[in-house]
Amino acid sequence: MAFTLWNLLEATLLCLNAVCILHEERFLVKMGWGANQNIQGFGEQPSVRSQVFNLVRSIRTVMRSKYLSILCY
Amino acid sequence: MSAPAYPPPYNPYASAVPGNMPPNMNMYDGRYVLPPPYTASPDYSRIHPSFPPADQGFSIPSQFLNEPLVANVAMQYGQALVGSGKQLVGQELEKYVPFSRIKYYFAVDTRYVTKKLGLLFFPFTHSDWSLRYEQDGPVQPRYEINAPDLYIPTMAYVTYVLVAGLVLGMQDRFTPEVLSIQASTALAWTVFEIIVELITMYITNIQTNLKTLDLIAYGGYKYVGIIFAVLLSILFHKTGYFIGLIYCSMSLIFFLVRTLKVQILPIGTSPSHHDPYMHNSGNKRRMYLLLFVAGIQPFLMWWLSFHLISPPVPKS
Repeated sequence: MAFTLWNLLEATLLCLNAVCILHEERFLVKMGWGANQNIQGFGEQPSVRSQVFNLVRSIRTVMRSKYLSILCY
Repeated sequence: MSAPAYPPPYNPYASAVPGNMPPNMNMYDGRYVLPPPYTASPDYSRIHPSFPPADQGFSIPSQFLNEPLVANVAMQYGQALVGSGKQLVGQELEKYVPFSRIKYYFAVDTRYVTKKLGLLFFPFTHSDWSLRYEQDGPVQPRYEINAPDLYIPTMAYVTYVLVAGLVLGMQDRFTPEVLSIQASTALAWTVFEIIVELITMYITNIQTNLKTLDLIAYGGYKYVGIIFAVLLSILFHKTGYFIGLIYCSMSLIFFLVRTLKVQILPIGTSPSHHDPYMHNSGNKRRMYLLLFVAGIQPFLMWWLSFHLISPPVPKS
């Protein structure tokens, strides 16, 4: 029951880690979840799937960027 | 020690007061002429800068800074530096925690608070839920009863922690750690709820006028209901708690649906040439978001308080 801020931080960290380690070429493309596979018109609203992929991709890019890795040292 | 940027690098032909003609121009005749050494003179409008002999390098003579005029200018420059430094720090902080926006949410007065609390408990007779806008944002909560504020949620959160301590103390379950656990748990659930709402709004690509602080405000209104239900549970135990919880959930759902309907759902129909690009699925998504935000409140209200009610007194 005691779901404190520390638990929230831990859960967030684990979720972020899970998002980062999903390798795009090995799993996601095979399951049809690749980032380049969606064809959408220009003026239409992006679908939920494409927004989720964009979110996952941007989280992965930010976590792998050089600036964040410098923070580790 | 390198020469600092201010005062300006050594220039023997410039006077200390900018704008005046260098005092020795008329004496320059191609030879290196030493300007007359500095003498203390009561006339401060034409000050000859003192300078060290050429073989000593450049350094600020202390008598330079002792002159009142230079001291004034130096102090004013120092104050300007400090002022701009403070401004810079404020600007940098503003990017992370929007202080000026937060001030808007605390611009409340007693009349607003009482009316809003009455609205939270009985929103069924209120008829006009629209929001008046100023140039770039809504009118301050002081003047607009329908505007969200952060004062009531903050106070309700603190009162919730205190009431939890009180109720647990009445059941002999109180330890000081319990207070911090309650506070941290409630905060964590609020943060989690807001993160879920933000991610949902991003994924479904809904454009609204709701800011993050608005979501925090609307998420904090449930603590008022929790306090009411828990206080009822002191008197009437389980039945009182559930009656209070159900009534507060219903009124909070009604309140949130009517308030957020104005901000999330599109208002009216605008006959414009954008019609081919408007999609009807946006309305459905917005309705689902609205129902989600409103529907998660009773669940969280129950989750945050059911462990506080006392077990029924055993009949012996």
